[in-house]
Amino acid sequence: MPLASALYAQSGSVLHAYSSADIKKLDPAFYQNSVDIDVMNCLYSKLASYKPGREWDIELEAAEELEQIDDTHIRFKLKPGIMFSGGYGEMTAEDVKFSFERVLEHDSPVKSDWGPLQSVELDPEDKYAGTIVLEKAFQPLWSISIPYGVGFILSKKAVMEATGDGGDFGITPSAVSGPYMLEEWKPNQYTKLVRNPEYTGDLKPGYDEIRIMPMDDEKVAERAYEAGDLDYTQLTLSSLANYKANPPANTTIEEYPSLYYVWVGMNLENDTLKNENLRKAIQYAINVPQILDAAYFGEAAPSTGLIAPGLIGHRAQSIVPPEGNLDTARAYLEKAGGAPSQPITIDTLNATTWKTIAEVIQAQLGQIGIQVQVNVQDTGSFYTLGMESEGDRWKDMQLVINRFSMLPDPFYATSWFTTEQVGVWNWERFSNPEFDRLHQAALSEADAEKRAAMYHEMQDMMEESGAYRFLTHEGSPVMFRDDVETALRPDARPLYLGFKPA
Amino acid sequence: MGDVATTYKQPSALCIYARQLAQNPMGLMGAILVLIIVGIAVFGPWLAPYDPNQIMIGPRMGPPSAAHWLGTDHLGRDLLSRVIAGGRIAMLVAFVTLGAAMTVGLALGLIAGYGPKWLDNILLLVFDAIRSFPVIVFGLAVVTLIGPSLYTVILVVAITSIPIYARIVRTQTQTLRNAEFILAEKAMGAGTLRILAVHVLPNVLGPLLILASMDVPMVIATEAGLSFLGMGVRPPAPSWGTILNDGYNFIRNSPWPVIAGSAPIILVTIGFTFLGEALRDIFDPKLRRAQ
Repeated sequence: MPLASALYAQSGSVLHAYSSADIKKLDPAFYQNSVDIDVMNCLYSKLASYKPGREWDIELEAAEELEQIDDTHIRFKLKPGIMFSGGYGEMTAEDVKFSFERVLEHDSPVKSDWGPLQSVELDPEDKYAGTIVLEKAFQPLWSISIPYGVGFILSKKAVMEATGDGGDFGITPSAVSGPYMLEEWKPNQYTKLVRNPEYTGDLKPGYDEIRIMPMDDEKVAERAYEAGDLDYTQLTLSSLANYKANPPANTTIEEYPSLYYVWVGMNLENDTLKNENLRKAIQYAINVPQILDAAYFGEAAPSTGLIAPGLIGHRAQSIVPPEGNLDTARAYLEKAGGAPSQPITIDTLNATTWKTIAEVIQAQLGQIGIQVQVNVQDTGSFYTLGMESEGDRWKDMQLVINRFSMLPDPFYATSWFTTEQVGVWNWERFSNPEFDRLHQAALSEADAEKRAAMYHEMQDMMEESGAYRFLTHEGSPVMFRDDVETALRPDARPLYLGFKPA
Repeated sequence: MGDVATTYKQPSALCIYARQLAQNPMGLMGAILVLIIVGIAVFGPWLAPYDPNQIMIGPRMGPPSAAHWLGTDHLGRDLLSRVIAGGRIAMLVAFVTLGAAMTVGLALGLIAGYGPKWLDNILLLVFDAIRSFPVIVFGLAVVTLIGPSLYTVILVVAITSIPIYARIVRTQTQTLRNAEFILAEKAMGAGTLRILAVHVLPNVLGPLLILASMDVPMVIATEAGLSFLGMGVRPPAPSWGTILNDGYNFIRNSPWPVIAGSAPIILVTIGFTFLGEALRDIFDPKLRRAQ
C-alpha cells in the first residue's frame, strides 16, 4: 500500500468501514435496513445487545436487570446515570415505555418486530424499572425485539420536541445516549460518527471517529480497501479464494456463515406472471448451482428457503430441486401457452454479483425460449421498486433478484411475506391466509419441533405459489487491517462499538 | 502545344486530399485505424469466432489462447467476440448520435445565425442551458427517468452534442450573412431558403465534418462511461464500457478483460483524433497556406 494511503487509513483513531448501503433512517421505530441499525448501535442504548462472537448471545447494555417473569411479562431495571445528550436528562423507564410503544402507536412498518407487545408498565416506586407486557408469548423477543432495531431507547422529551406527536423523526437524532453521535452525513458518501462528549456509560469505544462508507458493489469496496481507503470491509465470495491466496499486506481475512437469503421473486399481480404455469416454468428452468458457480465462484451453497442452516425452520430440501429440470420447465411452459411474446424483465442491483446472477438466469430462461431483459438499477431506484408508496412501478415489475438480511429467529424471515407486507417489502405480492395464520401461531409456539414444522410449511407455500426461486444464503467473508480488532456478530455484521485499535 | 493542353487531366479534389493525407504520417495512421475499426464493426458477425453472449463456465477468466485470442471473461465468454460486438455498438452510437446531432445542430445553427436577433437569443440560451450540464451527470439523470438502454445513450449524447454543432454553424452563418456574395444574391432576389441551402450550407459543412470526426472518441467514451457505470446498454450486450467494468471487478483474477475493454477505446481515440487533425490541416486554408 502506498505510504500516503497507509497514513490516511490509519491516521489518529479513525475507523474507515464499508457498508453495503447508505443509511435511510436513524429513527429506530422506522428503520429501513441493517445499516441503519449498525449506525444506531453507536448512537442509542438498548436494554440488551448482541454479544460479539461466533455464537448468538446477548449481553446487558442499558439494563442493570432484565428478567422474564412469565411468557408475557419481562421486568427490566435501567442502570442509573445514563444521560441523553443535549441536556435531555437521565434515561428512565418512562423513556423505555415511550420508545417501545411508539412503534405500535405510529403504525411503524417494522412494528412486527415487537410482535404482540401490549404495553410497558412503569414501576411507581422506581423510576428506572418497568415491565414489558405482551399479549401472548413471543419467541423472537430475546433474539430480535430487545437486541435489534425496535429495542433502542430514545429520549421522550427530545422526540416529542422534535416531532410534536412522537412520530417519525427521520435521519436527525435530537438526543443520543450512546458513545457516539452523528456529526455528518453525506448521502452516498459517508456517515461520520464522533465521540459523544456527554456519554456516561461503561462502554469504551476504541476510535475517536468512525466513517462508514456506503458502496453498492462489494467489489468496489475491495478496491477501496486495497487503495487504503478502508480498514474493514466485507468480501465477495468470488474474490475470497484469490484474497486468501494473495492477501493485501497487514490484513486478516475471516470467514463467517451468513443468514442472508437471496432469491428470484416473481410479481404475482403482473399481467404476464399471473400465469402460474409460466412461473413454475421459470422456477424449473433456473439452475441454482450454475448460478452460484458463476456469481460466487462455487463458494456458496444452494439454499432451500428463507431460513439458513442451524436456525429453527430450516428445510432439508426445497420442492424444486436446485438444478431445476428443463423438461419439467418446458412442460409447464407448454401448459402456460408458450413463452411470452415480449421479453420479461428481471430487475437487479447494479453490483457485480447481482448482474452476474441476472445474466445467467437470462441465459437459462433463454434455453426454454423465454426472452429476458435485464434492468440494472442503483440502490435508490431498486429499493423502492415494489413499494406502493413510491408510485406504480410495482405493477410493471416482473422478476426481481433480491437479498434480505436476517436475524437468528425464523420469524424475522417470514414477517416480510405476510399479506400486511404486500406492496411494502413483499414485492411478489404473495398473499395466503394460511401463511399469515401460521406466521402468527409460530410466534408463540414454545415447542421447537412444532415451530420448525410451521416454518417448513410456510416456505413450502411460498415455493408452491411459483413466486419464489430460492438461491443461496451466501457467506460472509471479511477483511480488515491487522491493527484493527473487530467485533462481529456470528453472521459477520459489524458491531462498531466493539472495534478497537489492536 | 494545343494537344498538350487538352491531354492534361486536372486531378480530382478527392485525389488531392488523399495524396495530402498520405503525406501526413499521423493522418495516414489514423485513417488506417479508423478503416480497420469500422471494417471490424461492419463485418463483426462474420469475424467473431463465438457468440459474444455465449456463457461457458469452463474456461472463465482464461488468458489469451489459441481458442480465445483475447481470453475469456468471468462468465467464460470469448473476449474477442465481445470486443468485436462492442465495436458495432460503439460505431452505431457514434454515427447515429453524431448524425442526429449534426442534422439538428445544423438546422438550429442556421436558424440562429440567419434568423432574427430575438430567436438567436432564445436558441443561445437553450444551447447554453444544455451545455451547462456535465454529460455523464445529465446522462445519469435521464437514465434514472427513462431507464438504461442503447437508445437512452444515443438520446443523451445527441442532445448534449447538438449545441456544439449549432454554435459552430451559427457563428459561420453570421460571418457569411453579410458577405458580398450573399448580399449580391439577395440583391438579385434570392430567397432565404436558397441562400441558406446553396450558399451558406456548403461553407459550413466542412468544419462541421472535421469537428464530428474529432468528436467520435468523445461519444464512444461517453457511451463506454455510461455502460461502465451500468447505465448504458443492457446486459448481456457487450459494450466496451461493460467489458471494462466486468474486467475491473475481477482484475485480481485476470487482467485480460480490462485490457480487452480498454484497448479498443484507446485505439479509436487515437485513430479518430489523428484523422480529424489531418483533415483539419487539409481543409483549413489558413493552415495550408502556413505550411
